[in-house]
Amino acid sequence: MHSNDAQMLVLTVLADRPLHGYAINTAIEELTGRRLGPGSLYGALSRLEGRGLIQPADEAADPQERHRTMQITDAGRDQLRAELQQMARISAAGLRALGVNPA
Amino acid sequence: MNAATLLTWLYPPAVRERWGEDIRHEMSASGIRSWPDTLAGAARLWLHPGDWPETCTGQTRRVVTVALFALTAATGLLLRSAEPSSTLKADIHHPATSLWLVPLLLGIGLAAPLPPLSGAALRNMTAAAVRTLAVPTAAVVALCLTAWSGMAERLTGFADTAAVTCYWLTLGFVALRLCVLVARIARTAALPTTRRLSTALLHIGTGLTLAASQNLLAMVRTTPHPGSLAESTALGLLAAMAISAGHDLRQKRA
Repeated sequence: MHSNDAQMLVLTVLADRPLHGYAINTAIEELTGRRLGPGSLYGALSRLEGRGLIQPADEAADPQERHRTMQITDAGRDQLRAELQQMARISAAGLRALGVNPA
Repeated sequence: MNAATLLTWLYPPAVRERWGEDIRHEMSASGIRSWPDTLAGAARLWLHPGDWPETCTGQTRRVVTVALFALTAATGLLLRSAEPSSTLKADIHHPATSLWLVPLLLGIGLAAPLPPLSGAALRNMTAAAVRTLAVPTAAVVALCLTAWSGMAERLTGFADTAAVTCYWLTLGFVALRLCVLVARIARTAALPTTRRLSTALLHIGTGLTLAASQNLLAMVRTTPHPGSLAESTALGLLAAMAISAGHDLRQKRA
C-alpha cells in the first residue's frame, strides 16, 4: 500500500475518534480487511504529526508518554475532506464510464 | 534482545521514543511477515528527517548532525577499502580527480557543531574528546607500530586473515568513536541550523555523486572491475541518501 494511502486511512479512522497506534490499525483492518505493516503505519503517523494533521490527544502529558492516543486536527479534517471529495469525483467519473450508476 | 526490539532500534530516535513500544507490539502481533515493512519504514524515515516528531528541542538537528558524520565515516571506510585508487584522489597535485572532495569538505564544515567559546565549556569538551578517543587512539598506535615493525608482511594464512580483520575492526571502531564524540559535543555545542544542515547534506551528496561519476567514467574507459562497480554503487547510494535527506529538510524548512 502506498504511503499516501496509509496516511489517508489513518486520517479516516481518526476522524471518527481519537485512537492509539494499535487501535488505529485495528480500525483500518475493519475498514479495509487488512492491517498496515508497522513501518507504513508509524511512518504515516510520524508524517501526519510532522505536517500538523494529527496531534497527541493529551497535550499536557509528557512528550515521551503522550504517544498513545492521537487525534485529528482541524487542518487534518480539511485535508481529509478535500482528498475524499476528489476521490468521490474520480470514483463517480469512473463508474459513469463503466456504465455503473453510483449509489 | 529479540528481533522486534532490534528492528525498532533501527528507527530514528524521535520516532522510537514516540512509537517504539507500539512498533514492537505491532511486530510481535504480526510476526516475521511484518519485518520487511518495518525495515522499509525505518529506511524511509531516515531519508525524511522532516517527518520526525521532536520529543525535545533541537533533537532532529542533533540526530541529523550525528547521522551526517556517520555517513561521512562510512564514506571514509568505503574509500579506504578501494585504495589505492587511480580515479579518486585526495591530492593537490591532481586537482581534477580530487574535485569531489571539495563539496564533501564544505559539507562537513557547514555541519560541524560550534563549541561555546568559554573556558569551562572548552575544558569539558576537551575532556570528553580525550575520554572518547583515548582507546581508539591507542588502537591506531598499536596498529601503526605493528605495521612499522614489518611483522604484518611476514604473516600468512590464518594469521594474515586475523591481522586484516583486526585492521578493519580498528578502523570501524575509530569511525564509531568519532561519531560518539560528535554526539557528545552536539549536546552542549551550538548546533547548525536546519538550513545549514540541509545545505551541508546537499554538498556532501554532490561530492559523493562526483566521486561515483568519476569512478564510473574511469570504468567506461578501462576494463570494468567488479570492485569498482560495487564502490560506485555504494557511493551512489550514500549520495542519494544525503541528497534525499537534505532535500527533505529544505522542504520542511520552507
